[in-house]
Amino acid sequence: MSLEENPFRVGLETERTSAPSVFVIFGASGDLTKRKLLPALYNLAVSRLLPPGFSIVGFSVTELTEEAFREQMHEGISKFSRRKPVDEAVWKDFASRLHYVSGSFGEAANFAKLREKLEELDRKNGTRGNRLYYLAIPPSLFPMVNDQLAKAGLVADPNDASKFSRIIVEKPFGHDLASGDALNADLHRVFAEKQIFRIDHYLGKETVQNLVALRFGNAIFEPIWNRNHIDHVQISVAEDIGVEGRGKFYEEAGTTRDIVQNHLLQLLMVAAMEPPVAFTADEVRDEKVKVLRALKPIVGSDVAKYTVRGQYGPGNYLGKPVPGYRQEENVSPTSNVETFVAMRLELDNWRFAGVPIYIRAGKRLTKRITEISVHFKDVPHALLMQDGSHIEPDVLAIRIQPDEGIGLRFVAKVPGPTMMLRPVTMDFRYGSTFGGSGPEAYERLILDAMHGDPTLFARADEVSAAWNLITPIHQAWAKEPPRPFPNYPAGTWGPKESADLIERDGRAWRRI
Amino acid sequence: MRLSLDQVERELAKLWEQDAHSAGGSRTELMTLVALVSEPRLLERAQTVVSEVVKIHASRTIVAVWRDGDKPSITADVALHRPAGTAAVCGDAITLEAIGTAREWLPGNAERLALPDLPVCVWWVGDLPDYDDLFDRMVVGADVVVVNSGEMDLRDLEKLSSIATRSRGHYALADLTWIRLRTLQDLVARFFDDAEGQACIKDLQRITIEFAPRPDEQDAASTQAGLLFGWIAAVIDLSPEGVQWKRGDGWAEARLGGVSARFEAKARGDVRPGVITRIAFDAGKAHFEIARAEDPRVYTWSRDVPGVATPQHTLRVGAFEEPALLVRCLERPKRDRLLETSLLVGSSIVKSVAPRLTAPPPR
Repeated sequence: MSLEENPFRVGLETERTSAPSVFVIFGASGDLTKRKLLPALYNLAVSRLLPPGFSIVGFSVTELTEEAFREQMHEGISKFSRRKPVDEAVWKDFASRLHYVSGSFGEAANFAKLREKLEELDRKNGTRGNRLYYLAIPPSLFPMVNDQLAKAGLVADPNDASKFSRIIVEKPFGHDLASGDALNADLHRVFAEKQIFRIDHYLGKETVQNLVALRFGNAIFEPIWNRNHIDHVQISVAEDIGVEGRGKFYEEAGTTRDIVQNHLLQLLMVAAMEPPVAFTADEVRDEKVKVLRALKPIVGSDVAKYTVRGQYGPGNYLGKPVPGYRQEENVSPTSNVETFVAMRLELDNWRFAGVPIYIRAGKRLTKRITEISVHFKDVPHALLMQDGSHIEPDVLAIRIQPDEGIGLRFVAKVPGPTMMLRPVTMDFRYGSTFGGSGPEAYERLILDAMHGDPTLFARADEVSAAWNLITPIHQAWAKEPPRPFPNYPAGTWGPKESADLIERDGRAWRRI
Repeated sequence: MRLSLDQVERELAKLWEQDAHSAGGSRTELMTLVALVSEPRLLERAQTVVSEVVKIHASRTIVAVWRDGDKPSITADVALHRPAGTAAVCGDAITLEAIGTAREWLPGNAERLALPDLPVCVWWVGDLPDYDDLFDRMVVGADVVVVNSGEMDLRDLEKLSSIATRSRGHYALADLTWIRLRTLQDLVARFFDDAEGQACIKDLQRITIEFAPRPDEQDAASTQAGLLFGWIAAVIDLSPEGVQWKRGDGWAEARLGGVSARFEAKARGDVRPGVITRIAFDAGKAHFEIARAEDPRVYTWSRDVPGVATPQHTLRVGAFEEPALLVRCLERPKRDRLLETSLLVGSSIVKSVAPRLTAPPPR
């Protein structure tokens, strides 16, 4: 019998429940665990969404007793949980499910130790061999952990209905097409695709899911969501902070790998995909990947024409001086790494042919904002503007963060005896309409992984298709002489070339 | 300042205009929430609740109250909902006061003041009167109707069941006490999520439900306990026909087929009267139990099924205050078949120990 056969579940809100399992975190003493994973798991416990017997095992190189690990996690939860203060009654129960195994990932003996711990929890807590492995470690260590898990017999057969093993991996999913494919191939050596959950926390955000609701839950948008009505689309992922101590990582990644290859392209996919036949994992991901396949490749001389790179120099943040990228910790003083990128993309498909998609992402920009704006075409005939001036076209803006919401700009008549038109906005704000705070992206995604629902996770072919766009651009950039970086001061909207990229087409970046 | 009804929209428009001028506020509203306050002493409570609800569901709220008086009239107060500490407005507030027979005019006036094109939720604040057609007239055209069986007597479950039957195809009936029960239902369902738990269902022999009685309460169980048992009986297919009751001091026991259900009143000062404090199931050698801890918002959940390891859980239940419950009703404004079935089965089972309802209505 399965959960679905529980007669007490019929008609309840919580029809979706997951089987008891052990959540193993590799890299448990790291920042991600303390800042995101444990607070998310704790909040799931507070919301009573963890199944009975659910246990957590932290695995890391750092020598720690279980007690010390629990203390560290309590500290992390106190600081980073969306619910404060810590509910001590829930914490006491939650802490009793927290365990720790220390050791390097390269030694089989440590995985034997892990296996013993997991078997003990199976006996004690009834977790029945169900495992979720979360790799909160650098991708270079994935193959090692993968191998050790397989050798220790810790990966269940994907077709075994009596138990499950799932692996959750964090970006970056490689650094180019070859390494991305190699990483996928390596994961596939041990895990079937349906056991792999590639997490991109943007997809766990309520507003990204609301974009699906906006497009496919309303009849008024879909008929105009095409080249006949849309002039162009802009997607901005702007951060006002710098690399914040992640200089070493950023030197290897840059904005294109850190933001564009994953978060930004995910937004593009959701904004541009065709309606899936069902809101199920493969149907949704099939449609998303078709968007990436339809992206016109940017290769050769087009790279210089359709892409812009930038790197911030010293400037200001909230009225205080801040260093340039090259002055950041663990960054080369001659670094050629981009902290800003803008591109002009096009989709070669029936719906969007000829509709440019301008994207930009960067650090130390004027403000922190992530937004998709759909700019509609001009009215065909300027009937109402007697002085021949231009009527501002309509814009639908979907704000992903912060201040999540949707705004529609349209024109209205200014009261008075003459026909004067003025753009006005109609604004829907999540916060003031629905109030409260929803679950964090990690809560939603971890819960989905526990349920075995990969709809909001990236599939292998999605990752490859994204690299397929990015890798030729990187290759072309690598052949160019070093750029005259820095080329924009911190606290501005990026280099001038970014404005030129869009102005060349007679358009401008939206003021956001 | 009391306004006549023709001034209401005009005054509200002014307030919105002032807000747009000073704060550049945008206006988004999700529904009209009409609170019918069955007794004047509940007015303040109703106003507090709706002002909390609009923080989550920005709405127009109409709180209607009636008082005795010779000159029939309805007057109104208007304001904007602006939660303390924020600049953002989250709806407008109308308070209607009907004097004397003007109470009969409330349905039409509430409908006239409802926002166009948005759902209307009618919340009946307090105990449902036995024979009063205001309720029936108010729910015409409503999308959601919210009541609270926790404020009713056990005998009212039957009345509520017939309201639920009449609501089909017209509006979604929601019960705040039923919403409060959802956590317990989920915890009960957890006992039987795995095959070992499910195997015990056929062996169920005894169900114990403990509840905190209302002062001077003589009913065999609280409405919450009756409703929960109605749900359990419906799930495991226990027929209410032929139910046999035994009663003692502070307890009542129903026997249906091979299952006995014992309701025990256990006084407890730190919880609301009527709420359930413990549920236990016995099935062969297996025992399942949910009990409120010392902290009334904390439950311990335990299961003892031979041969299956299941650790005890400590769980915190969410905010069960009225605004939170009302918000949850509004989040899923659709027909709740489970509530209908549980009311039907539960009211049939408790009918014989809630005899007042079987008396003919006064003429």
